[in-house]
Amino acid sequence: MEFSKEDIAAVYPKVAATLADALGCDVDQVKLDASLIEDLQAESIDFLDLVFRLERAFKVKIPRGKIIEDARGELSEVEFEQRGVLTEAALIRLKSFLSEVPPERIKSPLKATEIPRLFTPETFCKVVLRAQRAQVMA
Amino acid sequence: MTIDSKLAGKIALVTGGSRGIGRAIVETLAADGADVTFVYRGAAEAANEVVAQATGRGLRVAAEQADVRDAPQCEALVEKIISRHGTIDILVNNAGVVRDGLLVMLSADDVREVIETNLVGTITMSRAVVPTMISRRSGSIVNLSSVAASKGGRGQSNYAASKGGIEAFTRALAVELASRRIRVNAIAPGVIETEMSQAVRDLAGEQVLARILLKRYGQPQEIANAVWFLASQLAGYVTGEVLHVDGGFKMD
Repeated sequence: MEFSKEDIAAVYPKVAATLADALGCDVDQVKLDASLIEDLQAESIDFLDLVFRLERAFKVKIPRGKIIEDARGELSEVEFEQRGVLTEAALIRLKSFLSEVPPERIKSPLKATEIPRLFTPETFCKVVLRAQRAQVMA
Repeated sequence: MTIDSKLAGKIALVTGGSRGIGRAIVETLAADGADVTFVYRGAAEAANEVVAQATGRGLRVAAEQADVRDAPQCEALVEKIISRHGTIDILVNNAGVVRDGLLVMLSADDVREVIETNLVGTITMSRAVVPTMISRRSGSIVNLSSVAASKGGRGQSNYAASKGGIEAFTRALAVELASRRIRVNAIAPGVIETEMSQAVRDLAGEQVLARILLKRYGQPQEIANAVWFLASQLAGYVTGEVLHVDGGFKMD
């Protein structure tokens, strides 16, 4: 496991508040395992806004496109997707990288453009934790 | 009925503000109560004079040196303004250069310089400013195009391409940002009496004047008025629009 429950819990309240601000919803509606797009009606531009707000709230840098880049990990582009559809290797990789997402939601055929549909508030807790870790290392 | 542009207290960023049309835009927005920071690339003396004159009149105007082609410089500038004022409400992408000449006579640098300053500079500064506007769900961006974007003119292929790109960028960005209540528009000036258009006026003044319906060149202030309108809440229902301010040149 990349981060412990305690790690996630430490950043979650601020991530949830930031999410509520970005989506214009009540913080009580934000659940750790909700799908941001399906349950909270987020649009792609909201993810950008969320990243900008998280950068400010946590004083970290989150390079654009970082989540997808990290999701791919060691896999090359061809190993990850073919004609826009994720490969078997990519699905295995995603299940471990997005361990917060119920594995039954990560099933073939899944298009690369559909990856954001999987994101939950916990995904963004991990984004923040990774950014904090990168900052400490730098 | 009173007409309120609602510009008072708004934070504006204008690129290329030390001379010509840019200077008139800076002074007009500031005169209506906006807090204006303008960017200049090399003309430090002219920039200081604009600030001195404006502050002498009690206006809030500041100058910052930056190259709009350089993304890190744009981002650092935006960060500085946000830390000073909390946000940016209005962005006017005005910085532009001309390197006129017949295509085959243009150097690679003439082409690159014009496209990079006019088009890439507009895109780069917009990229730096848009995040804060998205987060605040409001904002107005006004890009300076030119009559050259829609009206072919000899010796201006590089300039025309850069301005045509700005108009296409304006429309696409308007679509992208509409759901966040950010308006994106452009102004297409005709021939305006500035240093930048001096060469064109010297070279083809008679011919050009003959083709302008109103039979005169425009003044920087007339462009600034149009920018003021699009930047303000008076144009609250206008987005993705290119407003031609050219004395009817485009009709010819």
